[in-house]
Amino acid sequence: MKPLLFKLKSKPEFTLDVSPLTPDKLAGLTLAKIKAINLSYGKQKIPVDKLFSVTGSDTDNIQLLNSTEKLICVGQNMSYGCIEVKGDVGNLTGQYMQGGTIRIEGNTGTWTGNSMENGHIEITGNTGDFLGSGLPGDPHGMSNGLIFIHGNAGDRVGDRMRRGMIIINGRAGDYCGSRMCAGTIIILDKAGKHSGFGMKRGTIILAKQPRHISATFKSCGNLKMQFLRLLFKQLSEMGAQFSVFNKYGPEVHRFSGDLASNGKGEILILQTIKSRN
Amino acid sequence: MKATRIIITAMTLKWAYRAANSITGFASSVIGCGCEADIERELDPSETPDGRPGIAVMVFAMSTKDLENQVPKRVGQSVMTAATTACYAGLHTDREIPLGKTLRYFGDGYQISKILNGRRFWRIPVMHGEFVCEETTGVTNAIGGGNFLVMGKTARHALTACEKAVEEIKKVNGVITAFPGGIVGSGSKVGSKYKFLAASTNEAYCPTLKGQVKSELPNEVGSVLEIVIDGLNEEVIQQAMRVGIHAVCSYGPKKGIYRISAGNYGGHLGAYHFHLKDIVK
Repeated sequence: MKPLLFKLKSKPEFTLDVSPLTPDKLAGLTLAKIKAINLSYGKQKIPVDKLFSVTGSDTDNIQLLNSTEKLICVGQNMSYGCIEVKGDVGNLTGQYMQGGTIRIEGNTGTWTGNSMENGHIEITGNTGDFLGSGLPGDPHGMSNGLIFIHGNAGDRVGDRMRRGMIIINGRAGDYCGSRMCAGTIIILDKAGKHSGFGMKRGTIILAKQPRHISATFKSCGNLKMQFLRLLFKQLSEMGAQFSVFNKYGPEVHRFSGDLASNGKGEILILQTIKSRN
Repeated sequence: MKATRIIITAMTLKWAYRAANSITGFASSVIGCGCEADIERELDPSETPDGRPGIAVMVFAMSTKDLENQVPKRVGQSVMTAATTACYAGLHTDREIPLGKTLRYFGDGYQISKILNGRRFWRIPVMHGEFVCEETTGVTNAIGGGNFLVMGKTARHALTACEKAVEEIKKVNGVITAFPGGIVGSGSKVGSKYKFLAASTNEAYCPTLKGQVKSELPNEVGSVLEIVIDGLNEEVIQQAMRVGIHAVCSYGPKKGIYRISAGNYGGHLGAYHFHLKDIVK
């Protein structure tokens, strides 16, 4: 079966909510019914075939082509299957996702992986603020799954994160891992200020020494963390894109904190340092 | 029987062995020890979850509850206490027993849970650094007590042949020989004249009682040793028995090995019967 292709005919003027275009919601529908689905477009509702040319039949494998940042809520609530996007997408990608895979060949807006419960999101470009976080009113941020960003991320990565893993190949903004409850965030380039602000538990792994570590984090010294051997071996076996983890060892400088909160979180800096800055 | 496999890793193979030898201590028979355990094989760093040298250990017990009772205690006292070790599940099945799930409390609130690829691991801060332990390990149906008897001219003859057999059996994956050195020097029969005893000496195979009881031993036999094999399924036990028997038979009567037999217990013990004639075909 050929993947179900949605090719954008022209650039939308307003935000376009594509949350109905998930494997869960399209399962069992004919092509005609799929074309007739109404999407929220600005303040109006318009059928899919007004904006997209639709071909293919495999609802488990969906592709969005010529995407722009106006498309929001890609893969919202999906629980299985795969959505691939060529181009940028807007906010709330993978919101409340429960399983399956979303792969974006482009950039995403804010709130990517918002309160996701499981699944895998991969973004080849950059992403905005609040990656893997929870909207105000949500009990917490992402509670399981994996988000892998090839580029950079904005501020507040993993805010109120509960479980799961975020890997960022590039840089992260300020307040990375703020108010984290648990989970793991790995930043392979520089992180901004106030990493781990208010974190209760959880792990932030920084491959490069950050410009700033909050005063409420206490140095535990240079250590070899046995857990990192396990983590890096398991990650490097997950596919070629994770082979970078082969080069990291268990040597870290460990900071525990945030002592202004529960204080059982940790920032692990993969380059050992002589003393806290 | 029920079985589980756990993987013990350490900074060096030597320390993985220290832990593995300790956890498999006093685990020769379910009758007296609660479980039967032994080292299955060494693991290359590429085969272990954390990339360090490791040992696969298998533990057998009469029920999942017995395993649940034995394994966490043994890991806690024999693996966690060994320097630089970590402990992981070696079987992944629907039925599971706790591993780090109960040991985590040793962390006294400083333990950290991590989920990787759907598997939960506990990081317990300890004095050597960090003891990493998988939350649970899988349990599977298994077979215990596959055995054969080696009848030799003297104990030295029988022991030499049995040592060679155990060496060959060790090459088969999925089986263990839980008795010390893989060889039983005091094979038993079911029951006893004493009501409180579940097993007692197998007098029909005791060379010193040849003239005293209805003996199964020919005149020339002066010593009988038994090799007991536990395995994950019939096939691996048959394979282990086959390589073991062939190894013993390679010595022959000229080197003091006269007969191979097996503990049959009247055909009443256990659901599986391994017929030696079929196995060596």
